[in-house]
Amino acid sequence: MHIIEEIKKNELVRNPSEIQKICLDKLKLNPLPNIKSELWRLSNKSKFSSFLDFSNINKESRMSLPYKNISPNIIRLIIGENSSINLEEETYSIRKLKDSEIIKYIKKNISNFDQNDHWSDLLNHCLSSKSNILGLNISGNQVPPIEIFSSSSSECFNAKTLILFCEKNCKVDLLQINIGNKNSSLSQSTYLCLEENTTINHGVVSYGEKKSNLLNSLNVIQKEKSNYSLGSIHFKFNYARFEIRINQLKGAAKTTIKGIQITKKNDQIATYTKIKFNGPNGFVDQINKSLADDKSHAIFEGAIIVPKVAQKTNASQLSRNLLISRHAKIDTKPQLEIIADDVKCKHGATISQLNEEELFYMRSRGLTLAEASKLQLSSYFKEIIECIPISKDRWDLLDVLLQEN
Amino acid sequence: MVNQNLVKGVVSEPYKYGFVTDIETEKISKGLNENTIRLISAKKEEPEFLLNFRLNAFRKWQKMEEPNWADLGYKEIDYQDIIYYSAPKQKEKISSLDEVDPKLLETFDKLGIPLTEQKKLTNVAVDAVFDSVSIATTFRKELAEHGVIFCSISEAVKDYSDLIEKYLGSVVPANDNYFAALNSAVFSDGSFVYIPKGVKCPMDLSSYFRINSGDSGQFERTLIIAEESSSVSYLEGCTAPMFDTNTLHAAVVELIALDDSSIKYSTVQNWYAGNEEGVGGIFNFVTKRGKCLGKRSKISWSQVETGSAITWKYPSCLLLGEESVGEFYSVALTNNLQQADTGTKMIHIGPKTKSTIVSKGISAGNSVNSYRGLVKMGSKASGSRNYSQCDSMLIGDQASANTFPYIQSQQPNSEIEHEASTCRISEDQLFYLQSRGIEFEEAVSMMVSGFCRDVFNQLPMEFAAEADKLLSLKLEGSVG
Repeated sequence: MHIIEEIKKNELVRNPSEIQKICLDKLKLNPLPNIKSELWRLSNKSKFSSFLDFSNINKESRMSLPYKNISPNIIRLIIGENSSINLEEETYSIRKLKDSEIIKYIKKNISNFDQNDHWSDLLNHCLSSKSNILGLNISGNQVPPIEIFSSSSSECFNAKTLILFCEKNCKVDLLQINIGNKNSSLSQSTYLCLEENTTINHGVVSYGEKKSNLLNSLNVIQKEKSNYSLGSIHFKFNYARFEIRINQLKGAAKTTIKGIQITKKNDQIATYTKIKFNGPNGFVDQINKSLADDKSHAIFEGAIIVPKVAQKTNASQLSRNLLISRHAKIDTKPQLEIIADDVKCKHGATISQLNEEELFYMRSRGLTLAEASKLQLSSYFKEIIECIPISKDRWDLLDVLLQEN
Repeated sequence: MVNQNLVKGVVSEPYKYGFVTDIETEKISKGLNENTIRLISAKKEEPEFLLNFRLNAFRKWQKMEEPNWADLGYKEIDYQDIIYYSAPKQKEKISSLDEVDPKLLETFDKLGIPLTEQKKLTNVAVDAVFDSVSIATTFRKELAEHGVIFCSISEAVKDYSDLIEKYLGSVVPANDNYFAALNSAVFSDGSFVYIPKGVKCPMDLSSYFRINSGDSGQFERTLIIAEESSSVSYLEGCTAPMFDTNTLHAAVVELIALDDSSIKYSTVQNWYAGNEEGVGGIFNFVTKRGKCLGKRSKISWSQVETGSAITWKYPSCLLLGEESVGEFYSVALTNNLQQADTGTKMIHIGPKTKSTIVSKGISAGNSVNSYRGLVKMGSKASGSRNYSQCDSMLIGDQASANTFPYIQSQQPNSEIEHEASTCRISEDQLFYLQSRGIEFEEAVSMMVSGFCRDVFNQLPMEFAAEADKLLSLKLEGSVG
């Protein structure tokens, strides 16, 4: 754990920025998360330490993108590559945040951060240099779709940060693609602030190459009448954690989360979500799927917190898991913490394998076992992939996944 | 809007078992060290293996830390400020019920557990435990005719020491957890049941636990062994007087089911829960676990938890035998400042094992009611199934209901289903019932017992009626 040693010795960053200083100070005494806490207890220790074992930090190299940008209507940004953007159109505007705005925002956030709960973000801010922080302010209701890439370079640890403010009445499709190169670690922290009446369709696609690791943290703050929908997919990582924190500041907002994680070989991929309602009339619908093969381990932990003020909340959470190998492992823990009494809250969890009766039916109609399994898997994936914006027309994710599995 | 006060009235029925029996007791001095354990063991004239078992557990306990993961807020327990042995004074060893102190018999009468002859009609054998000691066991002769052994664990240590040595600690090892280790070190009494091969126990067995003194802890231990093709239904009830101090209750229950046998263990727990400000009440830290060792064996837990200031209890099943079955049916009701963290663990180890979990939590007042359960499919549990259902009912906007299911699977050829929901007593339903001429309070209790029906159906007849009544009493005045 080279990085942790450096934090302890105070030698991680030369000439740290103000933010880096604050975060390094917060981590100095206690640089690791509490491995006995609910958030970290299932994390594979050797994988976690290999995630932190890099002396090369933020070394840049050109990344190869999964497809070319042939459509002029789509805005493509790559975090870390000097992408300057300032668009003022009649129906929308996209403005890069000033450094001072970014610093102010992050400072405000980290003052409330708990060392254990927000460890991923604190680590990210320690390591993320100014050029690796992208801040955008978006307004208007005819904003073109936006694609944002971040990647880690081979044999290197990269930290990237994205901050996105959506002004009132704004509507946008946003696709984030995180790519891990061979033998690398990527720490990605994202902050989304949705003002009243905004709608964001957010897609997160993360995949890696051999021995790549990912720590992906997503913080969403929603004001009233905002509508946030997330479709996410994580696959091909040696070790990956996706932490989602949704805060409905005053309730009365709508959140839809659909995610899938696919683990093979010796992978461990985990999704942690925490959805908090701080006002009445909130809505959340969440489905998390896992597919675990070979000797891999898939983890889901989701908490829905409904305090007294959040009357008339409507929350549902479903964890559906497919365990298709005798040596693979699935852990799931959907949880509800409820105080308000006039609410509709439910959750469910299932772990099973491919449905044998359905397979038998398809085979009796002349499909081979392989074809039938593929057909079943494709319907399993499709429910999630359909929620990922932009990629639909440009990149056949489903094909990619089916080829992989 | 439903009348808040009216509902409060429904829930806050005073605790009617809160009286203290004035009886001469023999207590040892406060505090816990190796000498205390030697003293308890000597008083009970125990064989050496048991003393070693206790000392071993004590040494392990000293190295352990009190668990805090359940997030229960209670003031620190001073383990040196507890009396670890307290027994009503009896001059000589008694040979029949007539010789039991009439005050004690009166106490159990008041609790609705008559130990004398008239109870015979109800066909339930009772083992009554008062503070640390078993007072009397009824129907022993009748049971002995069938070969069933039902006695206090102290007697069993003397008369059936081979069985005790073989099975004690085989399901809940001495170092299993902090409270189990404490119990293993200082346990005073409890019940022992042995059902021989092929015997269906002719009557329900029951033990009744009564805490009487305010400064002594209660640490009882129950061991039930069902041999091949046997079956037994066991009931357990608990009450305690009202003190404004907290009393510690740390029990261990071990069940062992061999081939084709079945054990049904039902509990109605109504320890004193403390007053409305949360002063006093029992701290209930219990380890209950059953081992389905044999093929096609079955262990079924059903519980109605209404009392205790703190409940920390996870009756579990280790499903080892092929096609063995584990069941857990629970109703947990919390009111005022009670905190309950209860649930179950279903560990599927053998192939084709099945488990069912139905948990109903009702929280009122400022209470916290959590379901915490584990379902685990081991890599050899091929063809196993689990179904869990956890429903919570919230009464008032100060109470909290939490659900923490832990689900782990390492076996692709198995199925796990879990579902949970939260509801409240809806005004529409209340209005409907009231418009049909049903009194408000009756309507509330109808809805609560409807909510708990799946669990009540699993309780033995006598208990089901009692549980239903208990819930409506407890809830008197709290729906709003």
